[in-house]
Amino acid sequence: MSRLHCPFCGPRELREFRFHKTLPTEPGTAFAGIYERIDNPELSVEHWQHVEGCRGWLRVTRNPSSGAVLETRLLGGGVA
Amino acid sequence: MSTIVRRGTRVQEGQIRFHYDGREYFGQPGDTAASALLAQGVRHFGRSVKYRRLRGVMAAGSEEPNALLTVGTRPAVIPNVPAPRLTLHEGLVLRSQNRWPTLSVDLASLLQIGGGFFGAGFYYKTFMWPNWRTYEPIIRRLAGLGEAPGACELPPVAVENCSCDVLVAGAGAAGLAAARAAARAGATVVLCEREPVCGGELEFEGGTIEGRESLNWVAATLTELAGLGARVLTDTDLVGGSDGQVVLHRQRGGIAGADTLYRVRPRSVVIATGAVERPIAFIDNDRPGVMLLGAAECYLARYGVRVGREAVLFANHDRVYAAAARLAAGGMQVRAIVDTRSASTGVGNSLRAELERTGTQCLSGHAVIAVEGGREVRAVRVAPLAGSGPERRIVCNVLLQSGGWSPNTQSGAQDGGAREYSPGLAAFVAAEQPLWRAFAGTANGRLELCDVLADGQIAGEHAARQAGCATGAGAGAVTAIDARGDGAPRLVAFWRSPSPPQLEKKQFIDLQNDVTVADLRTALAEGFSDIEHVKRYTTLGIGTEQGATSAVLGAAILAELKGVPPGAVGISRPRAPFAPVTMQSLAGLRVGSAFRISRRTPLHAWHAAHGGVLESSGLWLRPRYYLANGPDAFTAGIAEARRVRATGGIVDGSTLGKIEVAGPDAAVFLDSMYLSKASTIKAGRGKYMVNLREDGMVLDDGLVLRLAPDRFVATTSSGHADHMLSHFEHYRDTQWNGRAVTLTDVTEAWAVIAVAGPQSRATLQRVLGSAWHEILTRLEHMGFADGHFQGRDLRVLRASFSGELAFELHCRPGIAVTLWQTLNDAGLGPYGLEALDILRVEKGYLVSSELNGETTPHDLLMDGLVKLGNPCLGRELLDRPGLHKPARPRLVGVRARDGRSKFLAGAQLCTENERTHPVGYVTSAVFSPTLDQWIGLALLARRLGEDTQLLARDPLRGGDTPLRIVPAVHFDPTGERMKQ
Ligand SMILES: [Zn+2]
Repeated sequence: MSRLHCPFCGPRELREFRFHKTLPTEPGTAFAGIYERIDNPELSVEHWQHVEGCRGWLRVTRNPSSGAVLETRLLGGGVA
Repeated sequence: MSTIVRRGTRVQEGQIRFHYDGREYFGQPGDTAASALLAQGVRHFGRSVKYRRLRGVMAAGSEEPNALLTVGTRPAVIPNVPAPRLTLHEGLVLRSQNRWPTLSVDLASLLQIGGGFFGAGFYYKTFMWPNWRTYEPIIRRLAGLGEAPGACELPPVAVENCSCDVLVAGAGAAGLAAARAAARAGATVVLCEREPVCGGELEFEGGTIEGRESLNWVAATLTELAGLGARVLTDTDLVGGSDGQVVLHRQRGGIAGADTLYRVRPRSVVIATGAVERPIAFIDNDRPGVMLLGAAECYLARYGVRVGREAVLFANHDRVYAAAARLAAGGMQVRAIVDTRSASTGVGNSLRAELERTGTQCLSGHAVIAVEGGREVRAVRVAPLAGSGPERRIVCNVLLQSGGWSPNTQSGAQDGGAREYSPGLAAFVAAEQPLWRAFAGTANGRLELCDVLADGQIAGEHAARQAGCATGAGAGAVTAIDARGDGAPRLVAFWRSPSPPQLEKKQFIDLQNDVTVADLRTALAEGFSDIEHVKRYTTLGIGTEQGATSAVLGAAILAELKGVPPGAVGISRPRAPFAPVTMQSLAGLRVGSAFRISRRTPLHAWHAAHGGVLESSGLWLRPRYYLANGPDAFTAGIAEARRVRATGGIVDGSTLGKIEVAGPDAAVFLDSMYLSKASTIKAGRGKYMVNLREDGMVLDDGLVLRLAPDRFVATTSSGHADHMLSHFEHYRDTQWNGRAVTLTDVTEAWAVIAVAGPQSRATLQRVLGSAWHEILTRLEHMGFADGHFQGRDLRVLRASFSGELAFELHCRPGIAVTLWQTLNDAGLGPYGLEALDILRVEKGYLVSSELNGETTPHDLLMDGLVKLGNPCLGRELLDRPGLHKPARPRLVGVRARDGRSKFLAGAQLCTENERTHPVGYVTSAVFSPTLDQWIGLALLARRLGEDTQLLARDPLRGGDTPLRIVPAVHFDPTGERMKQ
């Protein structure tokens, strides 16, 4: 993975983005969300911000083993 | 000085002067360092890294394991440049490597005579007592390849980003056919070639293609490519590629400004990087004069250099006969051809009879078992492989070997692409590839010219189609390319010659790292069986050539030692870079002051002009102290802090982060982000607020000002604004999604001047004008007012970070210098970070030393804020039992027990009884002019009572200092001074 496809800005270099793990969404799930995460080598859901572009937060689904980006969506509007 | 003008495909008439190991040499335009030195009889190009054995040139390309030179003069040197890749230019200065004091006499090589060889794991096993560190400095001096450049200004290397439909790596027969096919289909093509000229082996192999002599075909194809708009980059290595990005490096060692790093984004890639000829392992196969057969052909055809007078050729395939004929035609005497294949396999080659007629001894079913001669080849010993024939000694001064070809598949395997063993080729080829990448030609295991060309053409068509260009003219018109070359090699795998066990330590596999057959045996005996483990234990294939000549040979011999078929152990995964790249090229233009940006406040020029000593604080440059107040930070800091408490001073706070939070849901949004509520702040007032990370640790603190019911400014620590803005945006777009809030970084829209000290109000009333007089009198702590100064926006906030009566002036950057100068002229002198730190430690205020990501609000005495019960981000995990145990830290003040001694931040705190188990540490320490002693803040285990006798232990800087615990607020605990 060396590029992400920003819904606003199109395909952009990875260095324009900043990584963040996903956030726990339900109240009461913070501990599990932070300390009990189970990594899947084939599937990772991540949040990336286009920090040197439109500043949009993206939800990126990718396969860390192959480096393939499976899906990129804009966060917000019910997507978490 | 050479008097004979050599003729070859690459050299022109003329003379280039250069220096090698302090002596003057001459070459011709187009020569490489290797060709020019070989032409002048130089046989020694360095010593090996471990055993310090003399080594010569083995290859004619970047796979060269031994002839690595240092280019330039200290400190501006480039180490480890393969001599065959170094195109000569006038005045070039070269040095051989791994020798001291000279190449001819090397002291470390005496180790080899005295103590025998260091086998695999030698360092791990030998230098263990008392520990490795005892020996490291000596070993480091002897170890390593070459010498790193010293502190010097090297010209920055250009970096170019580009894109194309099809990138073709390698401009040999396959690459040219692929590039042409793709370009004819309408694709934009970038073709890169690591050599200075295109053609690959066509340069010396001869043959015809499409009715032309192959060299003419190369020229015609390049002309056609130029006409179709293709870009051809010579001298350019394929460094590596993954995930749609390919990195190329154009390098012309030693020529300033000639290098370029290309980041290419092709839609599809054809890798036609050819193959590397493989050596065979036999005793003393590393001696100068043992070379690859193809390299000898290259030197002859390209540069007119005969690498030796009398040659013995050693191979396991038919191509050796054609090569022998060409070398003989070039004036070399081929004494013998040693063919490892049994007589029946090689018979039928018409060239063989002709060679025998002209005096070349042709031995089938034989192998070269050893080389004679220490400083260079003097003879070889040859023995039959089966049955009992006589061992022969053949006099020669060069042994040219060819054990087959290993396709260059590295660049497709760096991202995990699989490779599989091909028995017919006795090498590994790329297995299944993604649709956007194809291997072609010899890199794909094709060895016959017509196959190579057809493979290239098909790959080019495929790549163009993948790039969506199949509609162009000529698409689909795959025509067979008629060509005639060297024919099938009919290779039979042969890896190493027979050897008595005790001499396997002289059968070299990896010449760059001195890895021998004996090392592989040792690794296996010690339980390292996987190829990746063997690689790391023996250092097989780890050097600048990344196993180009050794990886396949090593894997096959390992398989043999394990008693499994070749290929059964696999091959180690290659890593980028495929060819050496200088760090300078990777840095590109980001060197020196361009390494990273620095941020300057609107008052920067004033500080610089008035003796402000600037310091990096994150990306910001901030004055640490002013030279007018003392010659060093310690003295000046004390003077500045003392003056603030006595009268007053001004400090540049423009680096303070400011985020404007606006919208109908601004208050409720901030409530969810901070430990206390923003919704209870009245408009026109501010509040000290703390926010937490998800795990409950304190993230940042700052003041939140409410400008209007739906509009706030949240201030952050200097340098944190960017991160805090991201953090806010992240939560707004996820957790609190749907809240109507806009977030804007206004850090640079406001300059901030903090005015502190007993005279601050009076001075401001004098300089800000009558409109502010009454406001300043009335303004309560944490109150602010908006107005104007000289017609521009000014916000005055009453807040203190020094414990004194103090105001923050937020003004537009354009009037910052005027306002600052006015205040300075009115008697408020500037102070810097050093004084700021003294003042805040005296008051127990926190900075990043305490807000270090490992402390909770409870640790930092903010229990009151937690008790408010605001259900904010991070609040949930604050209740974890582990965060309330007696061992958790708590903020305390510390002072030396004698009231005099110095101690520093970072000192570990122990109790008098338990001097080896720290119970906390000093987070901040300053000399307080107000209290006339060293004072500090510390994080200390909660279980310890206030009367605990502590010891600040700081063995590296100051030894032990006895401390006592005091309240964290050292000075004016009731805050009387702020309330004036
Ligand atoms: Zn964007």
